[in-house]
Amino acid sequence: MEKTEPSIVKRSLFSWIFPGNLKLQILLLLIIIVMVAARVIPLEMQRLVINEAIKLQRIDLLLRYCGIYLAAVVFFSLLKYLTNVIQTLITQRTTARMRKALYHHILTLPLNFFRNTQPGTVVNALTTELTVPGNFVGLAVASPVTNILTLLAFAIYLFVLNPLLAAVSLSIYPIVVFLIPLLQRGVNKANKKRVDAARTFSARIAESISGIHEIHGNGAYRIENRKYDSLVDRLLKIRIVWSLYRFAVKTANGFFTALGPFLVFILGGYLTIKGQLELGALVAFLSAQERLFDPWKDLIEFYQVYQDGKINYERTMEYFDVEPEHAIEPKDRGPMELAGTVEVKDLSFVTDTGIHLLDGINMSLEEGEHLALVGFSGSGKSTLALCIGQLYKYTGGSVMIGDKEVSGLTKKDMVNNIGFVAQSPFIFDGTIEENILYSSMAKIDGNGQAEEEQRPTLDDIIAVLHQTGIFVDILRFGLNAILTHGKNEELVDTIVKVRKNFQQDYGKDLADYVEFFDENRYLYYSSVVENLTFGAPNKSDFSDENLSKNQYFLKFLKTADLTRPLLSLGVTLCRQTVDILGNLPPDAVFFEQSPISAEELDDFKLLVERLKKKKLHELEDDDHRKLLELALRFTPGVHKMAALPEILETLILEGRALFREKISEDNPEAFTFIQMSQYIYSQTILNNIFFGKTKTGNPSAQEQIDQSIIQLLIEEDLLETIIEIGMHYQVGTKGDKLSGGQQQKLAIARVFLKAPKILIMDEATSALDNKSQARIQNLLETRWKKKSTVVSVVHRLDTIKNFDKVAVMKAGKILEMGTYDELMARKGMLYELVGKK
Amino acid sequence: MSSLERNNSTPSSEFQENLELLRQIYFFSGIPLETLKVFAYLCTRENFKQDEYIFSQDEDDGQAFYIINGQAQLERQDNGETTEVREYKTGDFIGGLTLLGETRRLFSLKSVTETTCLVLNRAKFSKTLEQFPNLLAKICNALAKSIDLWEERFLANRADQCGECMSQLGVTLI
Repeated sequence: MEKTEPSIVKRSLFSWIFPGNLKLQILLLLIIIVMVAARVIPLEMQRLVINEAIKLQRIDLLLRYCGIYLAAVVFFSLLKYLTNVIQTLITQRTTARMRKALYHHILTLPLNFFRNTQPGTVVNALTTELTVPGNFVGLAVASPVTNILTLLAFAIYLFVLNPLLAAVSLSIYPIVVFLIPLLQRGVNKANKKRVDAARTFSARIAESISGIHEIHGNGAYRIENRKYDSLVDRLLKIRIVWSLYRFAVKTANGFFTALGPFLVFILGGYLTIKGQLELGALVAFLSAQERLFDPWKDLIEFYQVYQDGKINYERTMEYFDVEPEHAIEPKDRGPMELAGTVEVKDLSFVTDTGIHLLDGINMSLEEGEHLALVGFSGSGKSTLALCIGQLYKYTGGSVMIGDKEVSGLTKKDMVNNIGFVAQSPFIFDGTIEENILYSSMAKIDGNGQAEEEQRPTLDDIIAVLHQTGIFVDILRFGLNAILTHGKNEELVDTIVKVRKNFQQDYGKDLADYVEFFDENRYLYYSSVVENLTFGAPNKSDFSDENLSKNQYFLKFLKTADLTRPLLSLGVTLCRQTVDILGNLPPDAVFFEQSPISAEELDDFKLLVERLKKKKLHELEDDDHRKLLELALRFTPGVHKMAALPEILETLILEGRALFREKISEDNPEAFTFIQMSQYIYSQTILNNIFFGKTKTGNPSAQEQIDQSIIQLLIEEDLLETIIEIGMHYQVGTKGDKLSGGQQQKLAIARVFLKAPKILIMDEATSALDNKSQARIQNLLETRWKKKSTVVSVVHRLDTIKNFDKVAVMKAGKILEMGTYDELMARKGMLYELVGKK
Repeated sequence: MSSLERNNSTPSSEFQENLELLRQIYFFSGIPLETLKVFAYLCTRENFKQDEYIFSQDEDDGQAFYIINGQAQLERQDNGETTEVREYKTGDFIGGLTLLGETRRLFSLKSVTETTCLVLNRAKFSKTLEQFPNLLAKICNALAKSIDLWEERFLANRADQCGECMSQLGVTLI
């Protein structure tokens, strides 16, 4: 759609008024004309009521005129509502169109642009900045037409009734229109001064308060008082002027509004007494007088919206008025299939400030050759890789891929032939699966029918997961999933079937890392509520979040003597957690070990404040409920800010037996108790296999756990099922639920899945452990050599021995290039670098 | 879970115990209590069996350890040969430098007896640091001082036995 339109940043604000809204605007125009007519009718009816109905004392006329009056008012209101709806439609649709077009444009801007642009600026431009221009477009036809027509209609009507009186009563408005903005300008000026002065004033206070020990130490009270007092005096003067202007505007407004009826009375009254004006006409004048004010006001407001909208719009568009460096898609041909050769000739890259990041680079690669770029950071190796990949636009020389110059290719051509793994790859919110398919889908997007055929199969995906070593991570996500009733029944059956044998086979080895469910022991890695009920709730009023409101459960807690100790545990947890985390941002790292989630923190902060002022028993029921809920979540093995008192532990264990007895009698369906023969739907798959919970995040322990679990899953043919579940794991905003290594593996996996002809890797394995790094390296050497051309920016020199070529860079130049052995034998730069290592 | 099994009527939490331990570590000296609390909260305790590797040479595990209880042996492998370097015991802090930036272990650490460590990793450390930007200067200061102290001691006590390695000295001058 946008291809036919000019770039959004070149469009004027007025160009949004009709295109796309033409039908709506015309409809609006028609309605307005009818509406203005409907607005004059009440005036005429007023006149007729007085002049005919009252004068002639005829009830039937009175009823008829009043009926018409009422009908006109109702009709007018309906039309008014309709115009508002249409205006809103136009405003919102235009704003949405502006937002889409601008966002689409911004995404294509060169990387360089974003270096000097904060994400906040873009967010602001797309959200707030475009609102007023959108409003303007909604008003652009309706407001001036309605108000000018209304004014004209009233004026004509009044002139017809009595030209002299009409001229006199209309004469006030031009004065108001000129005088009020004049005064308003004074208000604005004074206000600006006031804001500035208030800022200095606040800074002064902040400074003296933070330096209070110095003031005390020097006894410099008078000095500081003098500085402060003079600022207060200045502010005082400015505020008085400001207030004077403000009241002047108010008074002038009031004065002129009151002056209108005065003129009509004095002149109109005189004319009526003299018999030159009918009484009805006088009344019509009086009400017209009142109604004239609104259109004037609306016009002035519209002018303001126009000014603001124009400024916002122009400033925003000007800011983003940058040309994309490369076309996104080819216009008159399909995407190109390129050969895998790379030829760089005399390449240079000079920044705007004249720094040579690359200088006279010459190199070439045959199809399927692998090149390692090495050198200190800042030597230009990443820049070279990015230039080859078209992410930077080089300023001199040439880069040829196949027989095509890179700067002349479109993004689509590049994407279809090149894969890119960035140094700190970005993972977007969504599932693992969506992220794995990210590169492949972007490549085949828009290929029409072929899209489905080109989509990677599950087998392709699983192969890549294995190759990049992210398989185990995804398996773990799958194992940590919680199943819902009725789904994956086969899996559930198998787990229940195998877990007894599993515990017999591995129980002893895993005992250090797993706390097995045991009816007779307190479980330190399970919450208080899990310890108490020792089962999974089947009814929603017994679910974790509703339990603290459940009367049956609350009564049980009282019987078991648990209410008081749990509340006091809740208080400890609440105080300690707020004390530790009170000022930290809602980052997952900080809240993993906390019983209070990031969203609840503010609530509990307030609760802590209330706890300072009141005793526990004086708090409201709602606060008691919150504290109880907190205590019920408490898991001693995870939440280390409080300890579990021994007495409470004993009480809970006793309570467990009591609860089972009672609930089996009163409500046997409510819980499924934890037992070997039942799948526990409140627990993860892993906990179900273990029939227990893991105690540690220690990597070596994790590895041992993984090994035993994988063996089991292979034996039971469940591996693929779990992987599929794991693929639906949500990675969080910016992938923040993944570790740095996992993010990097995912980034490599998504490019491997695309299997590009040329692969550019910019320190792509820097966050990986030795094993994963070796795995990727091995993969490149065995599966990719002679098939895909690889340009790899390398930071660990122990991985470069088997590359076909190694180029050593320094200060934007290639100092030496050859095989690893050649360069080492030459005892030049590489030899020195490796030696240093 | 030794600390949990030792519950008595007025138990102190693991968090409080961690806080006490961190306050004794030189690396964290000069850090305000507010921040130290966050570290104490984020730390975990890990148990290592006898002869288990706590970290391994050439790996970047990104963790610092404080030995709460036990003993561990530092080893270095060169060309397939293992040399025992030194021993760490209860109360020793190992790996502060690892928290500051990506480095690969030059040594392996193996527990000699059953060992319990307080562990803090780089991700948690740097996330916390982001929240308290003034902190880095204090930590750098403590770090520079402890490197300085190390070499000063080495020169005072061992320089005469060093022989040829004398020419390699000067870590404080990097």
